[in-house]
Amino acid sequence: MLRSMSASPKRTPGSSPDFTLIGVILLLLAFGVTMVHSASSIISATRFQDAFYFSKRQALWALMGVGLMIWLSRVDYHVWRRHAPKIALASYALLVLVLVVGVNRGGSKAWLGIGSLGIQPSEFAKLGLVMFLAHLLAESKDRMHSFWRGFVPPMGLALVAVGLIMLEPDLGQSVVIMGTTLIMLFVAGTRWSHLATLLGAGVVGFAGLVAIAPYRMDRIYAFLDPWKYPLGKGYQIIQSLYALGSGGILGLGLGQSRQKFLYLPEPQTDFIFSIVGEELGLLGTVSVLLLFAVLIWRGIRTALYAPDDFGTLLATGITGMIAVQVLINIGVVTGSIPATGITLPFISYGGSSLTLLLSGVGILLNISKQAGMVE
Amino acid sequence: MLLFGLFAAIGALIGRLAYVQGWQAAWLSNLAKQSWDRTVPLSGIRGSILASDGQPLTYTASAPTIVAVPSQIKDKAGTAAKLAPILHMSVDSVLRQISQRELMVYIRPGGRQMSEEQANAVRKLELPGIYLTEDGKRAYPYGSLAAQVLGITGYDNVGLTGLEKQYNSVLSGKKGGITFYAKANGELIPGEGQSVVEPTDGDNIKTTLNLQIQQFVEREIEQAVAAYHPDSVTAIVENPKTGAILAMANYPTFNPADWRSADPSTYNRNLAIWQTFEPGSTFKIVTLAAALQEDKVNLNDRFYDPGYYEVAGHRIRCWKAGGHGSESFLNVVENSCNPGFIALGERLGKESLFSYIRAFGFGQKTGIDLPGEGNGILFKLSQVGPLELATTAFGQGVSVTPIQQVMAVGAVANGGKLMKPYLVSEIIDPDTGRVVSVTKPTVVRQVISPQVAAEVRAALESVVANGSGTRAYREGYRIAGKTGTAQVAKNGRYEPGHYIVSFIGMAPANDPALVCYVAIDNPHPEHGIVFGGVIAAPIVGNILDDGLRELGVPPQTQGLKKKYRYPEVPPVTVPNFVGLTMKEAQNLALQNSANLRVQVLGQGDVIIAQAPAGGAQVEPGSTIRLYRGQKAPSTNQVAAFALGG
Repeated sequence: MLRSMSASPKRTPGSSPDFTLIGVILLLLAFGVTMVHSASSIISATRFQDAFYFSKRQALWALMGVGLMIWLSRVDYHVWRRHAPKIALASYALLVLVLVVGVNRGGSKAWLGIGSLGIQPSEFAKLGLVMFLAHLLAESKDRMHSFWRGFVPPMGLALVAVGLIMLEPDLGQSVVIMGTTLIMLFVAGTRWSHLATLLGAGVVGFAGLVAIAPYRMDRIYAFLDPWKYPLGKGYQIIQSLYALGSGGILGLGLGQSRQKFLYLPEPQTDFIFSIVGEELGLLGTVSVLLLFAVLIWRGIRTALYAPDDFGTLLATGITGMIAVQVLINIGVVTGSIPATGITLPFISYGGSSLTLLLSGVGILLNISKQAGMVE
Repeated sequence: MLLFGLFAAIGALIGRLAYVQGWQAAWLSNLAKQSWDRTVPLSGIRGSILASDGQPLTYTASAPTIVAVPSQIKDKAGTAAKLAPILHMSVDSVLRQISQRELMVYIRPGGRQMSEEQANAVRKLELPGIYLTEDGKRAYPYGSLAAQVLGITGYDNVGLTGLEKQYNSVLSGKKGGITFYAKANGELIPGEGQSVVEPTDGDNIKTTLNLQIQQFVEREIEQAVAAYHPDSVTAIVENPKTGAILAMANYPTFNPADWRSADPSTYNRNLAIWQTFEPGSTFKIVTLAAALQEDKVNLNDRFYDPGYYEVAGHRIRCWKAGGHGSESFLNVVENSCNPGFIALGERLGKESLFSYIRAFGFGQKTGIDLPGEGNGILFKLSQVGPLELATTAFGQGVSVTPIQQVMAVGAVANGGKLMKPYLVSEIIDPDTGRVVSVTKPTVVRQVISPQVAAEVRAALESVVANGSGTRAYREGYRIAGKTGTAQVAKNGRYEPGHYIVSFIGMAPANDPALVCYVAIDNPHPEHGIVFGGVIAAPIVGNILDDGLRELGVPPQTQGLKKKYRYPEVPPVTVPNFVGLTMKEAQNLALQNSANLRVQVLGQGDVIIAQAPAGGAQVEPGSTIRLYRGQKAPSTNQVAAFALGG
């Protein structure tokens, strides 16, 4: 039994996709390329003697991604159900492969190098897992009340992926996968008691992860009191808060960030939201958050009006994935939660991430199209 | 429900953003600005400290020095190649130094303390990231002269003690600097520009120190140190009409050019204003002035001293065993007779005596323009009983600084006005020579009337001419003054054998141009035994003599003549030394202000005989022979509750 499936939408086959969603995505993409340019110009000029190094690439990825999105919006989403097991298998294979032949960047073996391109298997795996979980949960909806037959198989699959990603290690992606899985399980109607069991296991698991890599605990300390470690673990958070605070209500103006002058590490990826705050102020940051709120609202709406359970779960998974990533990224940047390296969807620089996200949105659009919204 | 949960999370983040970007914005942006700011300081030349005649006591020569900001030097090799020949250095060495990852570097050794020609050549190159500042060292043409008054400068030429500290802001001028917003790696943020504030040289300060008198004083201190091996010596010379300090010196001292190798207590403390101790008999001047002002005594009144004074059941003894017998109050002053002063204290009463003590400036800082001045300690009025009143009247149980005593006696010298002491008379712009500000003498208050002041001076002139201060007498210079001997208290008890002998004098007595105070802490005469009255008085006599000549004050003929010119020379009583150890004999002699010479003969630990014998009456200036031996006859008790001086 699916939760939230109370509404019984009228179907109008062949109706148009969700234009509000498309509008929001295009706005976010345009804004993202602009911000990547502004945030990265100093770093690009310093490292590559080309202020447009990152923004050129990001614009290209965005164009390709939009193309992909439009193409996928025309592909019947049920295709993914048929191929879900294969896609999942490929995802796991890539996650193993990256551990063997991956490229080490910034302490994490998260990248597969193909020529000058780098792809991040964890990004691919996120979407692959969402597809497979949607399939699995739709299949097993009569068993959802059972712990061993309903709850454990999907959770087990997710944990295997998380385990592989933690070997890279990449805490951010792991958290996003766990969050997305929980949202999907919740919508599929899993029992509260099962989630509680998981929570208990999670605490134990976290303790284990901290035992393996004590630097994770340091992140917690740095989060609790970043000012105590101004040059160490608290540095990023403090620099991020400097940026947000300097922006104030109205911001310093587009392109006027000072924190991007090598103070804030990687301002075009994980901490791009700080630069948004510095240049465009509270007005800018809240606007971005509201755009994401609209995106989430349209995504959940698509899930509600999906023609079948697989569609509902797939739409929920894709929307949930984006939402979790947004919340974690902005939570970190504002010092609200401990540091976890994750990019801001559609805005942060990153080809793999952008392509996969836009693919997800393409699928979402196809679901919305088949739902045939009736206002 | 899911939608609601996600929207709640977004709402929470918006709240957090509003807090960070609204509420905390001012605080955070201020911190951020600080982290962007880079300031390279530029200094001007520190001002000189001059003697009253304009001679520099310390100055800083111009020493242009290069400050390089490596992150602003794009063409490091070219810059090094242009600088190296001017600095007489190898290109490699310059290049290596300007390539360091520092905010700023000095190019050593050639880029420091350059000539003006070199500095101009560097200036002409207009190289980015190369700035000029001043890095001169303090020079002291007179070595350690007035070291504690001048004080020292530390890192970055900041005044740490003395006038250097007190007038640091005047001397150091205004710092300049190059301020720019920087990237995290120190490079300029393009387009932001930078602000260069040129430094301003410091002003000169002209002190009231008279170079000649200061040198006299330091010479006298050196001789006293050689003769008496004291723990410390302090001397102050004041112009009583203005409160200007003409000389101030201490032993032990230090060389300010090399203060880091000196004992910190020598440069951290200026004993003349910091040290507090019981003044002893010099304080009797205050009691006398108060009693005369309150009309409690006429100096011709008679007083009988049986050798003690009974206060609240206690017998306080006079320093002279057996007492001075019947005497006038002028004799009381001349003889420094303790019972006589106890009587004056009782006649005044504690309220009146202590109000005069405070009016004369004791118990509070004088406000001299030097850091580190002591307060001194007075009994609280509520705690003053008859005993405390009695001891205070002759200078025990109060704790005062040398500068307080000088200013109090200065008030007697100038007709009753307590002045505020000062050391800096003018602040002068070194470039134009224009006087920026002048110190005007400050009268704190009128303490006693001019008539009473004159009366006290007359009595003190008599002390020098006829009494315990005869060794300060100088023909024609009408020196008035008073000796003092104080036992030093440590941890609430008097330290046996530890005395501070002092003398405070002024001249000429009818219209003093100088007040001079000398205190010698814990003298250890080389040849064993010296009478206290012989130590400090002649030093003050010498200083006043030389000082008045230096100021061009003519000698007078109408002063009091020394009494020994008349037939009736008052004899002094020889103390009994027989049976005392050398140490005990020393202490006994130090307490006694009689003008007697001592010759010690033989070997051994104790005095076994003396000539003339104890109790004998002899002329002042006579010599007493003491014979040392091994035998130890029954030791006489040496009692010294009350000291004379």
